[in-house]
Amino acid sequence: MSSDQNDIRNLQEKIQAAKKSSSPDAPNTPKPIGKIMKVVVEIVAAMAVGLGIGILADNYFETRPLFIIIFFLLGSAAGILNVFRVAKSLQNN
Amino acid sequence: MAADNPIDPIHQFEISKIAEMQIAGIDISFTNSSLFMVFAIAATMTLFILGLSKRSIIPNRMQMLSELSYNFIANMLRDQVGDQGRAYFPFIFSLFMFIFFCNFIGLIPYTFTVTSHLIVTFAFAGLIFLAVTIIGFMKNGLGYLRIFYPSGIPIFLAPLIVPIEIISYLSKPISLSVRLCANMLAGHSILKIFAGFIVMLGFLGFAPLIFLVVLYALETLIAALQAYIFTILTCIYLNDALHPDH
Repeated sequence: MSSDQNDIRNLQEKIQAAKKSSSPDAPNTPKPIGKIMKVVVEIVAAMAVGLGIGILADNYFETRPLFIIIFFLLGSAAGILNVFRVAKSLQNN
Repeated sequence: MAADNPIDPIHQFEISKIAEMQIAGIDISFTNSSLFMVFAIAATMTLFILGLSKRSIIPNRMQMLSELSYNFIANMLRDQVGDQGRAYFPFIFSLFMFIFFCNFIGLIPYTFTVTSHLIVTFAFAGLIFLAVTIIGFMKNGLGYLRIFYPSGIPIFLAPLIVPIEIISYLSKPISLSVRLCANMLAGHSILKIFAGFIVMLGFLGFAPLIFLVVLYALETLIAALQAYIFTILTCIYLNDALHPDH
């Protein structure tokens, strides 16, 4: 009798645990491995985008190399920002 | 020069036309790349048709495999995006299975790796980027623009922060596609180069052979891992679009 009740209590605990883990507002915890692989490409991609915008703007306004310099610097900053975000989310885990 | 050399690690990435087709001057030939995309889809469909044809309570191996992959992606989507992400499950799941099988079929000798071409991965990433941006604007309206201006930043810093955030946002599809393509390209080239060493060294070739076996195991891991990373990043971008506040 008491072992039956124990079983039921165990089952209830299990159900509760399962409910908790499958609740819609379970915390967003991305797996770290995906994050680590992100880091290197992020800098290069952001720099490439900055450079691309700079070249396009310069071709349009014919002010080469003004916008290339500005947007390359902004792109580098964006790359650092990306890496900073990845590092921060790694730290939270 | 590469043509004279019997050991040519780049040859495996060459596109060759199987059936030539042209519509209005645009070349839409059926290439070996298209063929292996068809193979990847066929492999996915075979897995699920065979696996789910019986639907027994005690699953056989194929059913286990298909149910496991379903659960894997469903859990990933729920962890990353929450309940709202459920609507996008079919897309995320198809994406994962396609990239997974493309990567794995490419590991078989004499096959072609679809995902080693930047244009293929960029087509995926660009499409995902456009879709996520449209979803973001549909769900949040113009309020989605505040992802470019994080709260708590003084207004005089806005001219500096906003362009940086925009560049950071635009760099997402590039980093997503370059990561997958570069991993596949580099891995397959290295495998081919070390295979070439075995031939060149003759009897001493057993040393690179051992290394090649180890490397091949690593490549198998990377093939699965890159499919996983591509999918999980798609989930993260989707989450950013649905909940731009955090």
